[in-house]
Amino acid sequence: MMLATPSAAQTRAIAFSEFDLPNGLHVILHEDHSTPIVAIGVMYHVGSKNEDKDRRGFAHFFEHLLFEGSANIDRGEFSRHVERAGGVLNANTTGDRTYYYEVLPSEQMELGLWLESERMLHAKVDQKGVDTQREVVKEERRQRYENQPYGSILIEVLKRAYSVHPYQWPTIGFMEDLNAASEADYKAFYKKFYVPNNAVLVVAGDIDQARTRELVGRYFADIPRGADVQQPVIEEPPLPGEVRDVIYDRIQLPAVVTAYRTPAFGTRDFYAVDLLNRLLSNGNSSRLNVALKEEQQKAVYVGAFSLPFEHPGLAIHFAIANAGVVPEELERSMDAEVGRIMREGVPPLEFEKLKAQLETEYVADNSRVAGVANNLATAHTMLGSAAQINSELDRYLALTPQDLQQAAATYFTPERRVVLHYLPLSQKPQP
Amino acid sequence: MISAGQPRTSRVTLVGLGLFLSLSMNAQLNRSRPPAPGPAPTVHLGEHETFTLKNGMRVIVVENHKLPMVSVQVRFDIPPIVQGEKAGMVDLVGELLAAGTERLSKAQIDEQVDQLGASLATSNDGIYASCLKKNLGTLLPLVKDIVTAPAFPEREFAKVMTRTRSGLQQRREDPDAIAEVVSRAVIYSRTHPYGEVTTERTLDNVSVKHIKGYYQLFFRPEQAYLVFVGDLTAKEAKGLANQYFAGWKPTRPATIKNEDGSEDMEGLGRVRMMPKVAVPSGTRRVNVVDRPGAAQSVIRVGFPLNLQPRDLRALSAQVMNTILGGGVFNARLMQNLREDKGWTYGAYSSLDADRFNGHFHASVSVRTAVTDSAVYEIIRELDRMVNEPVTAEELELAKRFMAGSFGRSLEDPRTVGRFALNTYLNGLPENHYATYLKRLDAVTVEDVQAAASAFLHPDQAVVLVVGDLEQFEEGLGAISMDRSRPVLRLDEDGALWEEPITPVNDRTAEDVIAAYIKAVGGREAIAKAAHLRRTASGTLKGRPLRYTEWFAPGRKYRSESIVNDIPVEEVIHDGERAARRGEQGQEELADVDLQELVFFAHPVPEADLEGRLDRMVLAGRTPVGDREAFKVVFMTQHGTTIADLFDTESGLLVQRVEEKYMDGRNVRIVTRYSDHSEYHGLLLPSRIVRTGHPTGRMELVLDAVDVGPQAVAVPFATGLPPVVEPAEYVTDPGDGSREIENMAPGDGGEEED
Repeated sequence: MMLATPSAAQTRAIAFSEFDLPNGLHVILHEDHSTPIVAIGVMYHVGSKNEDKDRRGFAHFFEHLLFEGSANIDRGEFSRHVERAGGVLNANTTGDRTYYYEVLPSEQMELGLWLESERMLHAKVDQKGVDTQREVVKEERRQRYENQPYGSILIEVLKRAYSVHPYQWPTIGFMEDLNAASEADYKAFYKKFYVPNNAVLVVAGDIDQARTRELVGRYFADIPRGADVQQPVIEEPPLPGEVRDVIYDRIQLPAVVTAYRTPAFGTRDFYAVDLLNRLLSNGNSSRLNVALKEEQQKAVYVGAFSLPFEHPGLAIHFAIANAGVVPEELERSMDAEVGRIMREGVPPLEFEKLKAQLETEYVADNSRVAGVANNLATAHTMLGSAAQINSELDRYLALTPQDLQQAAATYFTPERRVVLHYLPLSQKPQP
Repeated sequence: MISAGQPRTSRVTLVGLGLFLSLSMNAQLNRSRPPAPGPAPTVHLGEHETFTLKNGMRVIVVENHKLPMVSVQVRFDIPPIVQGEKAGMVDLVGELLAAGTERLSKAQIDEQVDQLGASLATSNDGIYASCLKKNLGTLLPLVKDIVTAPAFPEREFAKVMTRTRSGLQQRREDPDAIAEVVSRAVIYSRTHPYGEVTTERTLDNVSVKHIKGYYQLFFRPEQAYLVFVGDLTAKEAKGLANQYFAGWKPTRPATIKNEDGSEDMEGLGRVRMMPKVAVPSGTRRVNVVDRPGAAQSVIRVGFPLNLQPRDLRALSAQVMNTILGGGVFNARLMQNLREDKGWTYGAYSSLDADRFNGHFHASVSVRTAVTDSAVYEIIRELDRMVNEPVTAEELELAKRFMAGSFGRSLEDPRTVGRFALNTYLNGLPENHYATYLKRLDAVTVEDVQAAASAFLHPDQAVVLVVGDLEQFEEGLGAISMDRSRPVLRLDEDGALWEEPITPVNDRTAEDVIAAYIKAVGGREAIAKAAHLRRTASGTLKGRPLRYTEWFAPGRKYRSESIVNDIPVEEVIHDGERAARRGEQGQEELADVDLQELVFFAHPVPEADLEGRLDRMVLAGRTPVGDREAFKVVFMTQHGTTIADLFDTESGLLVQRVEEKYMDGRNVRIVTRYSDHSEYHGLLLPSRIVRTGHPTGRMELVLDAVDVGPQAVAVPFATGLPPVVEPAEYVTDPGDGSREIENMAPGDGGEEED
């Protein structure tokens, strides 16, 4: 049996304080004076799963629009303020949340608060901004999904893995829906989701907590609270059975994707499945790497990932074949490795390896204030409490090899999965 | 703004400020302006210690106890070499370095690294590893083993070769990877160490003995830096460095020096250093890797530079590049191509100072329709950078952003190690990084412009586009300054593209033409359609076009083009003479122009070639899209060459390629014919797309075909003035023109004596 040892989380906890403003904005502060910089992040609890069926991609598109300015910031000025102050800024959107952040020299902390409060209070976008960003998002889609070999994997998997849940469409969305979006959509979305009671503000780095608290109040307290946000409650039915399909792409080497329906981020079994994915592909000695790349030489690349969705998500296993290897053969080898876990379990030494990798990763993950800010905001938004940042590692470490074997048997089954074979276009049967 | 040397504000002041703010909470907050920054803290540049081991290995230690982690790097100082026929060999060294040692198999190494939760990566100039401090004692012997006693096992070599070969196939379908490899090849040339391209053929020439030889020659302690960063003291590092590396004293392999500076070594063979530094040269040229149907065009515009990191102008060059496109969102390329035009997700430039050979490149992925416009805008931004001073605001933003980036980078203690390594590798002054912020602050508008003049070369830029050539060939050709080959087509490996063609022995060009005539409907049907009117509509360079042609016996011909409802061109052949009427008035078509018009003044020109051809040749079979065609090359009596492609199954004409000199440059006009339908017994293409013509892309859909004399009841009179033969040549010595009457035809003006 594994004995509990003092974990990295216990010995190197991330210190933070938190409070709520009367308007419902949750605020988290993390003080670290190692470097004179500060990260300011705001996470809104809205993502593509909050979209209407005919506005797929709207949340991400809206994220682009929220750089266009505010009542006090003209088009193009938002980023200029940040860069002129020596900082960087960006944002990202997932199925569940949208995150905006700046990393600034610490003496510019107030600037970051001003910018984020402007964005929350009275964002503004003109027609030129809407038209331009719609085109920009189209190019983003082309660049990241369409002009990349195997770039459509996520889109093709989601489409088949979900039938009811909005996770069935990708965050980038579909262009016809963005073309259809109108001013009423922007106004309604902003009013509904971009309210302090649906957001968390994190300020991390070289700060004085008392002063930061005051300034946060000064910039954010007056922002009106919005109506309570109702997160969708969607019961995705089980798959009708194993879903299989063939995708023809501009590729030379075939690939195999197996995507399994898995529990939601934060649940005990999510961590078990995530550890299984690490067992399969994290490091050169991981199972898919050793079996498919080294021993059988069937693959040029292997990977196993968890999609940490707020609602039940997916584990995606992916392998690109070596030249001359057919996908059926590759799939058999992938299945054999998954089957071996179910049959034989995970030996203690290998389990220790997973723990050692996690421990190192945890330290590296929180080595920068921007990373800490993101992790705190994510823990609060997705797991219900920032404190989860310090217990997440323990939740992994509490698992046993038996838990992993059990999770493999429960989740890595044919009736829970979508299997895609990617083949070169030249192999497409002529109609 | 962060600046070095300013005192850090005391905590007392901050608290006082906080109290003040809390008292003023109820005061009206002025949101209309950004808040002023607080007092700037000092940016503290971390320290490093350095010492040299007995075997010549230089050790750099950066002590930082913030996190319980340590990273270890061994970096060899290796000059770039020409790999030539063995291109790819150097990369394989990196792939194989950790693939087994005298003591351990690859599987054992991988297992040990993962058991420690460590990371370990090798490259062609060394190794980088990191782990929690508590595991350093186990990781370090492994790093030592990999660096000092790699085995390069044959079995692992074979596996890596298999993966590398597969990877080549994958790379050729990845537009970004193609752009990366081919842009280096066209910027530096394929014979330069930075531009060489690995192919299956060059991999065939590499074996383990080369890998071992390269390792023995270049992985040597006196050329190595050992860098420790993190949770350890300099004393500890010294102990570890001595314990694991001081005893490494490999014998230097014997080499024979040749006159040209190259060296020969047993196993490795001939080792050639970079022959000369590549610099901007020639004139602006355009290369394309064709990807029909591509979702986007991946664009690179670049040139090589002789710019070393220790060059005093390197910093103002970086400021200049930041303003142009280097990382800030407010850079000109990003603002122009994304925020103003909405053509791309991101546009960037990078200016790479390199101690051997630097380079500049701008990069962007855009939708196909704006490809040539995007290249044009990039060139325009380069021109503007060279010709106009930047604004004080732009300069200020770039400098502050760079200062901020410098400050942020110091959050990672490995940055300090990197700075130290850079200082030694590039021969920088010891205080290079300590003075960075001060030097940055001093850069002026004039410095930036001087850097632009010195390091940007829009007229010598090498353009590479990976995309759907057919869609933008004309526009791109106009940007090229190479008039003989405005657009050079390359393959995915950066070599000249060659049309894949398979010889055909079972038929002749005449057979293919006969099959074509039959497929169209036969000679009889063609003869019946001697009077024919063809009406089509579509677009010319995106504008609405209506196009009508009339054919009558005796090669009488007339055509009309109407763009945007305005007639723009009329061409008429009355059977003897021909005229073109356009916006610039009327002109007579004579000589080659006339003969060319006559050649095509027939509904099916291939049905009546008698007396019009010098020769025709069946070149072979060639792929067209996902089908195949016979390629027939016509050499006309008037001296032009036309290549027609006939579908191998239907026999129909699917594509015509004309290469000629027009508007001051060589052009390659490709006309594609598709969607054949029957009109009055003739199977004619209902869709025609012409690309490569200087007037721009033309797309046409056939609206109607009518036959019979009624259909061609239009005038075929050219309206040209009658030809008057001059009675004699007049010499006017006053106008400086040549004296025609003294010239005998064909003698070029030379006089016999």
